[in-house]
Amino acid sequence: MWALFKLFIAFVGATVFHWAFATAFANIGIQVSVMLVFVVAACTLLKPAYGYPLAFLCGLFLDFFGTKLFGNNAFTFCLLALFVYMLSERFDFESIFPQMVTVFCLSVFAVLFNALLLSLFTSSAVWQGFWSLLAGSVVNALMAPAVFFVLRIMLSKGFSSKEA
Amino acid sequence: MLHTKKRKRNAAPSGFSRRALLPLFYLTLSFLLMILPLDGLVSSVKAVLGYIFIPQIRLSHSAVKYADNVSNTVKELLNTHHENRQLRQEIEAAKILGAQAEMVFEENERLASILKLQPSRPWKGTWAQIAYREPSQWNTVILDKGARDGIQPRSAVISVENGIEGLAGEVVEVSDSTAKVLLVRDEDFSAAAYLSPSRDEGLLVGGGSGAVHLKYVPLLSSVQEGDRVYTSASSSIFPAGILIGEVSSVKKGHSFQTALTVEVAPAISSSALKEVFVILDDKGKK
Repeated sequence: MWALFKLFIAFVGATVFHWAFATAFANIGIQVSVMLVFVVAACTLLKPAYGYPLAFLCGLFLDFFGTKLFGNNAFTFCLLALFVYMLSERFDFESIFPQMVTVFCLSVFAVLFNALLLSLFTSSAVWQGFWSLLAGSVVNALMAPAVFFVLRIMLSKGFSSKEA
Repeated sequence: MLHTKKRKRNAAPSGFSRRALLPLFYLTLSFLLMILPLDGLVSSVKAVLGYIFIPQIRLSHSAVKYADNVSNTVKELLNTHHENRQLRQEIEAAKILGAQAEMVFEENERLASILKLQPSRPWKGTWAQIAYREPSQWNTVILDKGARDGIQPRSAVISVENGIEGLAGEVVEVSDSTAKVLLVRDEDFSAAAYLSPSRDEGLLVGGGSGAVHLKYVPLLSSVQEGDRVYTSASSSIFPAGILIGEVSSVKKGHSFQTALTVEVAPAISSSALKEVFVILDDKGKK
């Protein structure tokens, strides 16, 4: 129960930081997604039984703001969670470099995949340019070690795969 | 028993399928949400999510707003720090100015003492300003102080002009807040005086628009132009030794005259008079 409460606190913190960073970086045309970094980091620490619902919930949180399509972010985040669980068998997410590379690649994938879903289901283009995609992914990658570190401290007990 | 085991093995999904089931479930759920029309079930889901997320969104928004306020506060603090530095510099400059002002003040005091702006003798009295001057009686002035300030009739009035202290006149009328002064040039003014260096005494009388005269100077007096005229100790009003003026001309009288009359140029000119010192405590003279 205490672990779930900590997870909830982490989720609330992620939404706050997502809101703050998205607002700040939107002014200079960069798409930053703290929620994506949070989902990736959480999935490296949590068991799939917690990781997938969390990814789904975080996606729904982002979908809540959308008006054209509902569920695309949830779908993308679930796919991200799937990729992370697949990669965790090969990658060592304890070190910084794999964290950053994974977050960078998944950020690019998430933006492209979301754009694809939107164009498929709503025929509306949401492409904001290569610069926005690249810069946003770089910022996400740079944030990754900090987010991983904080989450590891918060969720070190109660959710780890080893304990499961 | 074996059959039971086989049934159990068939019933429980394998590790791979169990791992695949969970993402499949959520992916399907997400996909369903995507393909469903927005106004039907999705809007209901959104409404339910609103109860969960809206407080969080508010919290996030207020947190961001707070952070923004913090940044503004930091900016204000930095500006305040900058202003503080500027003010400190201004204070330092003001201190320097203050020191300079103090030096000027000291210099002013020193120069004032040199110019003898204070009465040279330890008379007690009060400084007063000329409040009013009657054009028809130019040799009479009204002071801005009166009986309330200790001024009494027949008090001596002195002043300083060009650094020289001299007799200005005599108080003739006093009200609570004003005093009327008869100046030396007035026709009704008179005072016992002596010449320096001859020490010959005479009676100084005002001349109105004309010259001030010192009458009854002994015929054998060695008075000359430029001799100084002071108030005499025999005067019933004025303290002795106050400069009245200088002898401007000596007229040799006729043979039948028993005394000389000399013209005196007052040390204090009536027209330039602005401030006067009224002597209050010259005991025994009033």
